[in-house]
Amino acid sequence: MNTIFALAGVAIKELYRRKDFYVLFIITILICLVMASVNIFNDAKIVRYLKEISLLLIWISSLVIAITTTARQIPAERENRTLLPLLAKPLTRMQLILGKFLGCWIACGLTLLCFYIFFGALAASREHQLPLLNYFQAATLHWFMLGVVVALSLFGSLVFAAPSSNSTICFVFVAGILLVGRHLNQVAVTLAEPGRSITYAIYYAIPHLELFDVRDLIIHNWPLMAWKYFGLAILYALAYMAALLIAACLVFRRKAVN
Amino acid sequence: MLSSRTFYLLSLALLVLSFGLAAHLEPEFQSWRGSRAQGDIFNVLMGDSRALFANHFYVKADEYYHSGYYPSIFDNRTAFETPHVGEDTGAINSKNHGDEEGFLGPPRDWIDAFGRHFFPDRHTHLDEGGPADDLSGSDNVREILPWLKLSADLDPDNVQTYTVTAYWLRERMHKTAEAEAFLHEGLRNNPESYDILFELGRLYYESYHDTVRARNVWEAAVRKWLKLDPDAQKENKLIFEQITTHLGKLESEAGNYDQAINWLQAAKKVSQTPGAIQQQIDAVKAKMAAPTNTPAALPH
Amino acid sequence: MSVILKTEKLHVAFSSREFRQTAKIALNSLDLEVNTGEVFGFLGPNGAGKTTTINVLLGFVPPTSGSASLFGIDVRQPIARQRIGYLPEMTYYYKFLTAEELLRFYARIFGLSRTEADTRIDRLLKLVELEPARKRPIKSYSKGMQQRVGLAQALINDPDLLILDEPTSGLDPLGRMKVREIIQRLKNEGKTVFFSSHELGEVETVCDRVSIIHQGELKAIGSVSEVMGQRASLEKAFLDIIGYQLQPAP
Repeated sequence: MNTIFALAGVAIKELYRRKDFYVLFIITILICLVMASVNIFNDAKIVRYLKEISLLLIWISSLVIAITTTARQIPAERENRTLLPLLAKPLTRMQLILGKFLGCWIACGLTLLCFYIFFGALAASREHQLPLLNYFQAATLHWFMLGVVVALSLFGSLVFAAPSSNSTICFVFVAGILLVGRHLNQVAVTLAEPGRSITYAIYYAIPHLELFDVRDLIIHNWPLMAWKYFGLAILYALAYMAALLIAACLVFRRKAVN
Repeated sequence: MLSSRTFYLLSLALLVLSFGLAAHLEPEFQSWRGSRAQGDIFNVLMGDSRALFANHFYVKADEYYHSGYYPSIFDNRTAFETPHVGEDTGAINSKNHGDEEGFLGPPRDWIDAFGRHFFPDRHTHLDEGGPADDLSGSDNVREILPWLKLSADLDPDNVQTYTVTAYWLRERMHKTAEAEAFLHEGLRNNPESYDILFELGRLYYESYHDTVRARNVWEAAVRKWLKLDPDAQKENKLIFEQITTHLGKLESEAGNYDQAINWLQAAKKVSQTPGAIQQQIDAVKAKMAAPTNTPAALPH
Repeated sequence: MSVILKTEKLHVAFSSREFRQTAKIALNSLDLEVNTGEVFGFLGPNGAGKTTTINVLLGFVPPTSGSASLFGIDVRQPIARQRIGYLPEMTYYYKFLTAEELLRFYARIFGLSRTEADTRIDRLLKLVELEPARKRPIKSYSKGMQQRVGLAQALINDPDLLILDEPTSGLDPLGRMKVREIIQRLKNEGKTVFFSSHELGEVETVCDRVSIIHQGELKAIGSVSEVMGQRASLEKAFLDIIGYQLQPAP
């Protein structure tokens, strides 16, 4: 485990020493502050549009950070030739994969913490309330969704040749799931065979990332979701993370590193 | 090779030439045809697609009105064809039918069933308290305003956006001045709009209790409606009925019973519920016939 | 003297992606033994199979047949690498880390305690003369400094076997001298050094035994004098063994 945490530490250092996070964070803050300064019928209490815009920016930024940071981990090691001195140490390839995953996931968690603190402050400045448990549920589900995305991106970095192609494919895949994943079963019903079976197969196989998108509950101040379902969603995410990481380990085991 | 002095002088000359050319062309640019010379930034950036975005944001306002519980393009939208945010103002013909509570239908599989715990799951309206279902938060309807404003900015020709926004500003937010200003903006963009004039009249009558201005504005609305061709008049009967019944009520309360009856009879001609209008006419006639309680004139 | 590094009929073939092309044989039944405490030079022309041999020893490339072991442990086991240090030919390290952070990272992988790691890091940075630059990111280092960081990371676990792939490549004469000094010091401490190099002059100076590999096959092995035989220099011996014929001057 020490080795895995050591690898994770390097990935985290890489994130906060690159400019990606700071640029996205500042852009998010600026856009939100500009939106907050708009006068809407002289009403200073309107807040939900602001919450929606900031949560949208947070989601986009976090996906950009998660996918781009993870997509370049192994390819950058290979390209920069840091992979060889690393694998010359007494660590297995599985430890390398797990370490990279953990580092990227924790790094995403830290960026999410910063974003959600800003979001909470922004919302509280207008609503004068801070539903901490609701925000905790939303942020945790978001983080676990990013865990699935990081595992997916890591697997993709071993399958696709270039980080850019991996990133693009991951973005398209994730965006597709978030937008239409929930509705594939409705689409399947309207299709003839074999399209129907294929669509159903895709519907059951894909990780339903839209389950973790509880922005509407936060924006419109819905009550807290039942902890039972929260826990089940976490387990669902962990299952997909495990499956993708196992697949990544199997692929990496067979890959030439020189 | 140019010396640096020559380079700077040349750059300065080019700069002066560019500014001179721009200043010379500016008046001509204004007369060029096409939307690039006219309109605001939305028009320039988006062209005709702004109407699409405007409609999207109008529907977004309705989504906010329902606190996020709203059908997607894949769901059964028959109960949401007319956005409730406009329907609840009472001034719009509604095309809604079907189940607004259960547009999702029963869960199709375990993923669908599980997923319903992660997004809004009940039909609520913001003016009735939203998810909390208590009227204490009924002024939360303010949350729809940004999207209505954006929709109006993107498509200033859509009259309904102005009337719906003004209704909520006036009725729930008690922001009468803002509603009036917004309606005036709508009138500037749509000078022939009887809908906006009607809503403005309601504002003067119900909020400011200014019967003179309300009467003037409603009569202007009637004149504009009468300018429509017969087919258009057939499609817009509801608004004419509303304007004339409101005029009837105004005149009745002002004591101008003959004028009130005239307006109500005009309303009855287009109404789908003539019986109800007739009852109003009968009530006015009864008021006319009732003896007045004025004290006898004092002898000089 | 015990055998610390051993290959037995090591055969590595890379399958070709071209249609109807036979596999490229990188190593052909290589038998090699390196004893504890000796400095062993691994020589050969470009493309001879030196780097492939090192890659097999480090577990990067699986052998097609035959075996390779370090400290008696099959090279495919990660534990075989617990007591080795490796300096690759091209030294690139995480540019966003400082030298100190890089060494601490590798120390953690080896399971060194914090105190032990601190002591070794201080000692190694002094040894490779990077003490003034320890807190600067590696991206600001020159080529020579990066090579020295590489040497430091190869020594962080106080290895019993050091595998160096062209350690003086790209270094100026002063840098080469310092590398030779370090190799000599390690030898004095009883460490085993296995390195490949093109600098035959250096090999002559520091090595106890050398081997020459050509086209994947071992052509010669023994002490420097044994390999030289009657020839005037190791270079002449090298050229003769690989079959290079010097053209007479016109």
